Amino acid sequence: MNEVIQNSTNKQTHTYGESLWSKALRKLRKDTIGIVAFFVVLIYLGIAVGVCLGFFGSSWDRFVTDGYSGMSRQHIFGTNLNGQDIFERALYGTKTAFQIGFIVAIVATFLGGILGAVAGFFSGKIPDVLITWFYGVIDSIPFYLFVAALAVALADNPYAMHIAMISTFWTSTCRIIRGEVIKIKHLEYIEAARAIGVSYTKIIFKHIIPNTIHILLVQSTILFVTAIKSEVILSFLNLGVKEGVSWGLMLAEAAQEVPAGNFNNFIAASGFMLILVLAFNTFSDALQDALDPKKVS
Amino acid sequence: MQKKLFLLFIFCTISTSAFAIKVFKYSVEGTPTSLDPVQSSTKYQNRIVSAICDTLYDYKYLKIPYELKPNLAAALPKISKDGLTYTIQIKKGVFFSDDPAFKGGKGRELTAEDFVYSIKRHFDPKTLPRGAWLWQGRIKGIDDWKTAGSDYKKQVEGLKAIDKYTIQISLVKPYPQLVYTLTKGYSAIVAKEVVEKYGPEISIHPVGSGPWVLGSFNNQKAVLLKNKKYREEIFDLKNEGYDEKIHGFTGIKSLQGKKLPIVDQIEINFMENFSMRWISFTKGSEIQFGFIPEQQFNNVIASRNPLSLNKEYAQKYYFLPQTEFAFRYLNFNMDDPKIGYNKDKELEKKNKALRIAIHKAWDWPQYIKTFFDDLGEAYPGIISPGIDGYDPTLSKEYITHDPEGAKKILKDNGWTAANLPDITYSMVSDIRQNQMYDQFRGWLITIGYPSSKIKKQTFASFGDYSKAVKSRKTMTIAMAWGLDFPDSENVLQLFYGPNSSPGSNNSNYNNPEYNALYEKASTMQPSKERSEIYKKMHKLLLEDSVTIAGFSRTDLWVWHKNVILYPVENVLGNYFKYVDIK
Repeated sequence: MNEVIQNSTNKQTHTYGESLWSKALRKLRKDTIGIVAFFVVLIYLGIAVGVCLGFFGSSWDRFVTDGYSGMSRQHIFGTNLNGQDIFERALYGTKTAFQIGFIVAIVATFLGGILGAVAGFFSGKIPDVLITWFYGVIDSIPFYLFVAALAVALADNPYAMHIAMISTFWTSTCRIIRGEVIKIKHLEYIEAARAIGVSYTKIIFKHIIPNTIHILLVQSTILFVTAIKSEVILSFLNLGVKEGVSWGLMLAEAAQEVPAGNFNNFIAASGFMLILVLAFNTFSDALQDALDPKKVS
Repeated sequence: MQKKLFLLFIFCTISTSAFAIKVFKYSVEGTPTSLDPVQSSTKYQNRIVSAICDTLYDYKYLKIPYELKPNLAAALPKISKDGLTYTIQIKKGVFFSDDPAFKGGKGRELTAEDFVYSIKRHFDPKTLPRGAWLWQGRIKGIDDWKTAGSDYKKQVEGLKAIDKYTIQISLVKPYPQLVYTLTKGYSAIVAKEVVEKYGPEISIHPVGSGPWVLGSFNNQKAVLLKNKKYREEIFDLKNEGYDEKIHGFTGIKSLQGKKLPIVDQIEINFMENFSMRWISFTKGSEIQFGFIPEQQFNNVIASRNPLSLNKEYAQKYYFLPQTEFAFRYLNFNMDDPKIGYNKDKELEKKNKALRIAIHKAWDWPQYIKTFFDDLGEAYPGIISPGIDGYDPTLSKEYITHDPEGAKKILKDNGWTAANLPDITYSMVSDIRQNQMYDQFRGWLITIGYPSSKIKKQTFASFGDYSKAVKSRKTMTIAMAWGLDFPDSENVLQLFYGPNSSPGSNNSNYNNPEYNALYEKASTMQPSKERSEIYKKMHKLLLEDSVTIAGFSRTDLWVWHKNVILYPVENVLGNYFKYVDIK
């Protein structure tokens, strides 16, 4: 009996004083599906890095056959209309997806985080009114119309799509962070900081934003997936990537080929995308569960 | 009781068939934006405009090579000996279709003044005209009339209605292609009352004296209804150039003696999506005429030589492969110092070598195989076989894929991967164009062009692309040109210096020798001497490597077996009037 009490006391000692991050890591380790998803994402990341370093995917634009060819040992997914290897193109598409995902997720999360924190900290005052009005306006414009307008306005700017996504995606992060900051700013340690005359900038950037990092992390994973999916749709509509190849472009090619009974582009691009999006979503859910303080167990 | 019901059934059946109207439904891949004759710049617009508004001349329906025939004109024009004055009689008793724009809503008689008015509209900037190039600098006094403010009350010296039914056109210099221009939708005749009543809305409300009147028009569909007031026009097989061996299978013979137009209604559906068009065509109850999309080629075609449909389709449809009356090209913008003319003459010489190298990298057989089902062959330059000025002895080197030769030229002229300029392929943002760019990029890589220096410039729509081309902002121009009339002058003018952008010369080529030859040939009647000049000009173009050309696509027309027609989409605008439904 004593031994049991002793054990349970030890356990409690172990959890007391544990930081949010170590607790999250512990919880994440227990989530087998989340870990598997994480490794799948890592494999994709490895592919993207490999393409960047020129280990593979660099011959996506070479003509290896004379037009279409079926699946074979040399060309796993066959070749396309121009005789280019579909597998190589799908690998290159991974790099494109990560490039867009990372840029959009990082910039949009950063922007949303900062603006959300400012709006939340000054809730009810002019900065808050301006920021909430601004994201209200952005949210009221249908996303694809907004992107199309930007694509035309930015003519042949290679980053038109990135700019369009960032301009719209930051709003969800901003809204969530604003709510969180309104909650945090009434906590005692913030009121104490204000009472002793710590500057607003220091309070926001040193004491508030670090306490919303777990939300920003989850938000960025969600935005990453959203950006990849949006790129595919935009490229399909010819509003997407300007250079290189992407899964969206491959699917746009497939739209012409599928009615003629040629499914290789479709299988490769949608397969690559499906696995990555599924894995990233699963990982994102696992991360959210692990970082959610309400779910402490 | 049963007897009465039976009689009622018989009555209903008879009356239904008696009142059934013949409707011909077809689709096109482009949507007309305006049906005002002065704006009928695309084939989609030209076809509808010339069906509603009459032109003075037309082509014989079935005759190849194309041959002119009078349409609204009573006969071919009387041309003065010096080739400067054309006198044209128009048919009497031709009426505009009824419209509230006319007094009492009844269409009045069409007169020579209406033709004069309709051509003047091309020189009135308020109408946003697109076809003035056909007559500017040609008809005496027309440019001055425009400069003086386009006042319709004032006469144009070279464009007169001598009497109610006689038109006289006086030219600044001989213009042998003038009669061809009078077959175009641009020259279709409208009434002043209609223009004044509808203003800019004439673009959706054209009224003419042609075989059809506009039933409805939006961005999905145009419906044309038979013009009940259309003049007496009887189909004559012999006059239209019928040949039993060529046209026998179509059943056109049965049209002999029929009054035109034959069917009651035409439905033109605007469908950009090829699969939608194909599904609609094969469904049976919708579109009755169209072409086989490239993507369906392998499913539909049984043999390549000779081209034939597989059994399932052959039983249901008539089939006719036909070479388009157009050509595809890639022009270099000579105004761009990185690829064309340059103040530094040494660099200009190097640029020419660069153009020749790119020309040699171009792989026509691969292009045709990839994008045009491997149907047809490229020919050197812009003058296609069968047109005056075509030179069968022209060297095939202009259409030979020669990457080694290209590399040698680059090397001999001091081009290296480090000093080659960025090359930009301009295009409409579209997946097919992107595939073409990918192919072009691949060819350049094979001649040693660094991939980082090959770029694309995309435009959201053809309109944006065209605007950039017209303002000389693109380095390359990949387009197609549909011939306005069967004369090489129409393609050679595309490289005449004074026609540079925003004119039709989008390469901005300006070679004094070429220009002088063009000026000489453009006033000449067809002759051996003119053909020789055409050949010389063509050679100059190829030697300067201003354009990578050319290829004419093979269209694979199919139509339902209950439809009587012969596809003449290329030059002829108004051919709906000859269509019949069994």
